[in-house]
Amino acid sequence: MAETKLNILPVPTFASSGVNFVRRETGEFSLTKIDVAKNDVQTLVQYITDSTETAVTVADNGRLELVQVFDSREKCEAKLGITLGDNASGRLTQVYIGGDTVSEIVTKLVGYGSQFDTKIGYQLDGSDTLDINLVAEHSGRKSISEIAVNGVQNGSSSKTFKGTIDFKNGAVGAVGGEKEDVILMNDKVRSRTVPVILCAEEDVVGNHGATVGRIDEHHIFYMKSRGIPEDKIYEMAARAKLTSVINCIADADAKERIAKALGWEVGGDDDEQ
Amino acid sequence: MSNKTQVGDIDRSLYDFRYDEDESDFLDSGITPEIIAEISKEKNDPDWMREFRLKSLGIYNRTPMVEWGASIEGLDIDNIVTYIRPKSRMNTDWDSVPEDIKNTFEKLGIPQAERESLAGVGAQYDSELVYHNVREEAAQSGVVYTDLESAMHDPKYADIIKSHFMKLVPPTDHKFAALHGAVWSGGSFVYVPKGVKLDIPLQSYFRLNAKGAGQFEHTLIILEENSSLHFIEGCSAPKYYEAGLHAGCVELYVGKGASLRYSTIENWSKNMYNLNTKRALVEEGGKIEWVSGSFGSHVSYLYPMSILNGRGASAEFTGITFAGEGQDLDTGAKIVHNAPETSSYMNTKSISKSGGKSTFRSLVVIGENAVGAKSSVNCESLMLDRQSRSDTIPVIDVRTDKCDVGHEAKIGRISDASIFYLMSRGLSEEDARAMIVRGFADNVSKELPLEYAVEMNNLIKLEMHGSVG
Repeated sequence: MAETKLNILPVPTFASSGVNFVRRETGEFSLTKIDVAKNDVQTLVQYITDSTETAVTVADNGRLELVQVFDSREKCEAKLGITLGDNASGRLTQVYIGGDTVSEIVTKLVGYGSQFDTKIGYQLDGSDTLDINLVAEHSGRKSISEIAVNGVQNGSSSKTFKGTIDFKNGAVGAVGGEKEDVILMNDKVRSRTVPVILCAEEDVVGNHGATVGRIDEHHIFYMKSRGIPEDKIYEMAARAKLTSVINCIADADAKERIAKALGWEVGGDDDEQ
Repeated sequence: MSNKTQVGDIDRSLYDFRYDEDESDFLDSGITPEIIAEISKEKNDPDWMREFRLKSLGIYNRTPMVEWGASIEGLDIDNIVTYIRPKSRMNTDWDSVPEDIKNTFEKLGIPQAERESLAGVGAQYDSELVYHNVREEAAQSGVVYTDLESAMHDPKYADIIKSHFMKLVPPTDHKFAALHGAVWSGGSFVYVPKGVKLDIPLQSYFRLNAKGAGQFEHTLIILEENSSLHFIEGCSAPKYYEAGLHAGCVELYVGKGASLRYSTIENWSKNMYNLNTKRALVEEGGKIEWVSGSFGSHVSYLYPMSILNGRGASAEFTGITFAGEGQDLDTGAKIVHNAPETSSYMNTKSISKSGGKSTFRSLVVIGENAVGAKSSVNCESLMLDRQSRSDTIPVIDVRTDKCDVGHEAKIGRISDASIFYLMSRGLSEEDARAMIVRGFADNVSKELPLEYAVEMNNLIKLEMHGSVG
């Protein structure tokens, strides 16, 4: 085991913010390589339990659908690299349930019209910690990235989400969007969000947004007026956050495993959608 | 082939005049214990300040450079003159100010502004204040507006200065705060008594005329309970080939229910490194409003910080950054919510052109005590060509569940759809583009004092060439 810096923010910021990198003792990463051939489609589900590195190349017009489930509730590090060719697309769904996880995702949108669509959901409780460093690097013309993160934090959990959309010079017509919504359910939680846009190209559109905290008071009022108590409202909202991500997973076994890990009843309405 | 809309560079001719200096007035360049001792001697520092300067030098020597932000490789402190002896002592009579200095500030419009719209004016030339005056009615209400050195030697204020000076921004904060603590000179002290609301602003103007020099003014403002003030700060320098340095420090104490608006137009020349530190401590129900325009300097590090320390305290930051050729402007703000029901709002715009680089950097901390806190951050960046760069690096750090924090950011160019819409309403393409760029900066410019808003609109001047497509 050697201590290394992981999840390095592409452009460092205030040292006092403590988000520039994670110092971590790690073992050797087991490497998985995936090549998606031209015009091919591959669907893959990975259950990440220890130090894992996945390197994916999607050739022109290829399509990847990758699901990663982090449900070991143990210390875990993961690296994922995706390279997308012309008109290639990568759809990534990640679900984090508890644990002590450091996860890095670097997607290179090098091809013309390449697309990267990510949905991430996390539920943290107790002393869980999660550090995600996601980078969408646009160098291909008219490339598109869309990042949606939904999370729920309880207990004294700690989370850092670093999401970077990096428009390289030459990425003419590229579009990138990023959004993180977090519901906090305990006054001991710590939630850090770092939504970065780096831009070296004029003809691009980049957006990012984040909301952190309680549920909107108008929503609470509406639900209460329907006779639902506040703790139940939060419970429902938390479930809805995760459900919106889990419903993007086509694999029934993966959905069942996630639902069990979350302690949900399998076969409920949410799971049938 | 169509030409693109050209957004003009900032016209700096107003600021690029200078007068020769007598270099025998310069202390040696660099920073050594001997130079620090010489500054203390020149300024007749009290003992505590002599010790403070030397202690700060020690901190400076052992503090590493920051490892983030714009490159400051071109800055060699050993080549910077940290103190220039004044040609005249501080005056309260404008006619007693030396002719060339008087001409400088006349050209910058300072005396005219004082006559027309200010309650008081301070003017610093190189290392020292040369003029300070406050209107009689303001003085009669108990408002103190003077240079920091005079206040430090005045028995009425000496203890206040000692108990507040570099307590909000300690020399240990970062390397250039330590440098400031060692070589600071000039700047203003403002004290507004309980319940006094000053309806018209005070203004300090800082002019660095000498080449290869630094300016290290210190501004200390204390607002007592339920008082209010608008303070305006302007800065400029002529252009030289040698690097210049501005490492000022601003400390603002906003008392219970007090309200302070701090407006800055920073228009240093493009050889300047502007490494400034500003911080406000806001008590219960107090309010700090920062209005900041960053147009000049070669490199800027500027992140005014608000510490909301009392229940219901609030902060607003409105800023615009215009980065042109050869400029790397790293700006933004920090807000720390340290009490219940505090609120903050940050609204920034940045424009990058001709290879300029603009970076928005922010930090919002919602502390464990900040139950019921609300914060909203909004930043927009406009790229005007492919040679430029614009980065947005916000950090949100939340340590309690009972809060509402939102963040939004957009980056892009002038949209074709907006141009099309305006043209369908009868505007030419050139006029449509001009209107959009002015509109982009509008919500910041309307927060500026009128004369600065007019100046800013002149700075962002559009020139159209032929058909635009």
